[in-house]
Amino acid sequence: MPKMVSQSALMVSPLDLAALVINLVLANVRVIAPVLAKDNPEQTDYLPIRGLEDAVLGGPLPRRSLKEFFLPASEVLLRYRQGKKDVEVEEVRTTFPPQVILGARPCDAAGIEVLDRVMGWDYRDELWFGRREATTIVSLACPGVDACCFCTAVGLGPDSTKGSDVLLVPVEKGYLAQAITAKGEALLNREPMEELSVDAAGVDKAEALWKLAREKAPENLPPIPPTMPEWLAKNFNDNFWNSIALRCHGCGACAALCPTCHCFDIVDEHESYKQGVRRRNWDSCQTAKFTMHASNYNPRKTQIERFRQRVMHKFSIYPRRFGAILCTGCGRCSRGCPAGMNLPEVLGQLVQLAAAEPQGGSQ
Amino acid sequence: MPDNSDTAPGSSLTSPSSPGAEKKKDEILPLKSPAAAETLALDEAVAGWAANFGSKPYGFEPKVLAFICNWCTYTGADLAGTSRLKMAPNVRILRLPCSSRVSPLFVIKAFERGADGVIVSGCHPGDCHYSTGNYYTRRRLAMLHELLNFMGIDTHRVTFSWVSASEGGKWQQVVNDTVARVRQLGPLQSQQSNATGRYLP
Amino acid sequence: MSELSELAQKLLGDGSVKVVIGYEEGPRGVRPVFVTDPAQAGKLIFDTRCVQNLAAYLNPRRQHVTKLGKAAVVVKGCDARAVAGLIRECQFKRDDVVIIAVRCGGVVRDPAKSPELSIETVADRCAGCEVREPKLFDHLIGTLPPRPPQSSQREDKIAELVAMTPAERWAFWSDHFERCIRCNACREVCPMCFCVQCTADKSRPQWIESSPTPQGNRAWQIMRILHQAGRCVDCLECERACPADIPLGLIAKYVAQAVERRFDYKTCDDPLIPAPMGSFSTDDEQEFIQ
Repeated sequence: MPKMVSQSALMVSPLDLAALVINLVLANVRVIAPVLAKDNPEQTDYLPIRGLEDAVLGGPLPRRSLKEFFLPASEVLLRYRQGKKDVEVEEVRTTFPPQVILGARPCDAAGIEVLDRVMGWDYRDELWFGRREATTIVSLACPGVDACCFCTAVGLGPDSTKGSDVLLVPVEKGYLAQAITAKGEALLNREPMEELSVDAAGVDKAEALWKLAREKAPENLPPIPPTMPEWLAKNFNDNFWNSIALRCHGCGACAALCPTCHCFDIVDEHESYKQGVRRRNWDSCQTAKFTMHASNYNPRKTQIERFRQRVMHKFSIYPRRFGAILCTGCGRCSRGCPAGMNLPEVLGQLVQLAAAEPQGGSQ
Repeated sequence: MPDNSDTAPGSSLTSPSSPGAEKKKDEILPLKSPAAAETLALDEAVAGWAANFGSKPYGFEPKVLAFICNWCTYTGADLAGTSRLKMAPNVRILRLPCSSRVSPLFVIKAFERGADGVIVSGCHPGDCHYSTGNYYTRRRLAMLHELLNFMGIDTHRVTFSWVSASEGGKWQQVVNDTVARVRQLGPLQSQQSNATGRYLP
Repeated sequence: MSELSELAQKLLGDGSVKVVIGYEEGPRGVRPVFVTDPAQAGKLIFDTRCVQNLAAYLNPRRQHVTKLGKAAVVVKGCDARAVAGLIRECQFKRDDVVIIAVRCGGVVRDPAKSPELSIETVADRCAGCEVREPKLFDHLIGTLPPRPPQSSQREDKIAELVAMTPAERWAFWSDHFERCIRCNACREVCPMCFCVQCTADKSRPQWIESSPTPQGNRAWQIMRILHQAGRCVDCLECERACPADIPLGLIAKYVAQAVERRFDYKTCDDPLIPAPMGSFSTDDEQEFIQ
């Protein structure tokens, strides 16, 4: 197993980290970290903090993912006003004040990197990338895995650095900080940090912990074979789909919680008869109206087609087009589903089906 | 039963001794309870309105939208007009065939679109032009009243009333009361904002 | 094999129904299951973790389920009220469904956790339950367990809210609605929300904007709950589904209390008794009207 911490790591004590947070806050850089949820102290949310004492690092997985800091749940795209002769359009800004996300889970950070590909595909989304450029993501290696996690199945892991600028690995005396990108290095250089040699005993203990996590995640779902995207494409009409999604209500809670779901709806809203805004709001392919045509024809008429679409988009269409699975194995969809839909279970069944019928069944 | 009528202390509506009396800038007009069934004498209503006209604690003129039924309240309002009764000019009237045409969505949308107060008025129960319309209205508005209150929208901004075709005076009172109350409460926009989410600057 | 599984096997075997909608043990606790093959009837279970309201799958918007054919549905007494509600509102006929009612002693809030019933774990809806012995059924099975622990947590919270000033309530709900993203999961899981075109989806005219603004979120919940007044069966699927953990159960219960107080009506499992908002009494209270 590869050593997760390189020799160039810095030793960061909790005091150093607290000082870094104060440094950032005083410089008007927004710092976001997992914080105890106001309405439920057993849960955490990613929220702005004023000091490290507000944050809960290494606590439970935050309820919502990081995507709302890059793709807000509702965002103004432009404002329009009826002028004397013409409609005046006011653009919104595409550069944003700097911010740092501290203590992000590796599965959440990876989701952002996965989304970069579609956001920069046929049209460069200035709002997304404006926020990306302004943000430094400091991940905290994941302390634990529960029955819904499957990050290892999608090529990630509790110590994945995908999407992160800095990776923090908790050890006995504090954290080992590893700069992954130049942005991360610049962040670590803001405050003088102790340059100790990598603490062997501390790292071994952390390694043992993640060995456990790395072994547990595959129990939930073994790595998805690379032939899966093609197999899914060929087996679009398999009978399997007709039974797997019966319990799904099509509520869309899974998409709301998912770090990589990014579908949105664009609406124009009048503020008065003379002016208004155009907004982009989160949407979900699981809702009945998502593919409703103006003619009242709906190509995805029932939940069967809609759930199939969810799996196809994440595990077949996106990988074939962008080379990355549109899923980071965080498990929020399964934890949050009121009807007990379970993605590791569904994927496990698909993998088995693919192994049994490698060429595919019906066409 | 939960107390839906949040009243300021000393809630009976008092008025200066004469219409032209000096009105202190910071004198607060006690709120009239929407749940009370008191009626004002016409003089008092006029005096109260006229005295209030001079003071603008928030520097704004309330916008009040009134959804009224064609057969009773609209005729009553018309009577108030032809009788030259003095009424606050802040009320915009929307005429509907029956008070049961009023969906709670109208009231909600009115608040969203800039109304500071809303009046819904119809015929007295038993007198509905369509026989039973206002009985349904009563139930629907009861639930709306309960829910608005529960969600924290001050129900002093909303007036529900039965005004018959001959009650020009009552219409005047409803209008003046509502405008006075809403003026006291201030613009609704101070409570709302267009900001979305908690993470955006 | 249990009484439930035997009954399901019989119903499927003799063709009286095409699918039995019940509960099974899933990877994360109890979840709904759709048994179409008599040989699979052994999957069906019923225990204190069976909190989901399966009547939601009879809702005509669940086309993927209704197209399977005539269904038998496993319901608790509270869920049977949703079936009655759908029949009352002509979404299907009484003969179109086979109701397998189970005598119930309460359920836990979280179907993925322990089945132990206690004051802390019992579902909010079990407080004050009067239908442990269901009255609407084609088949009634199970033995009657003792009364569930009666938690007054929700009523206490509502009383606390009612005692606040409007401004404080505004702040309370604003705090919660900050997290609302208008995913509409609350509407989609509700058994009683069967409108093909929801009022909130109308764009001409647009009554409720779809963007998650503070006033829009409030307007949405007010409108949704008003549409549920007298119809809501308090299954709290909406609260379970909400990805933002908004306490929708408080609003649902408050409106149910208001309906009972004003119209002397509780959502019931007799489809013939009309719902309160579609009827009236000449003696309704009107203390709020001038």
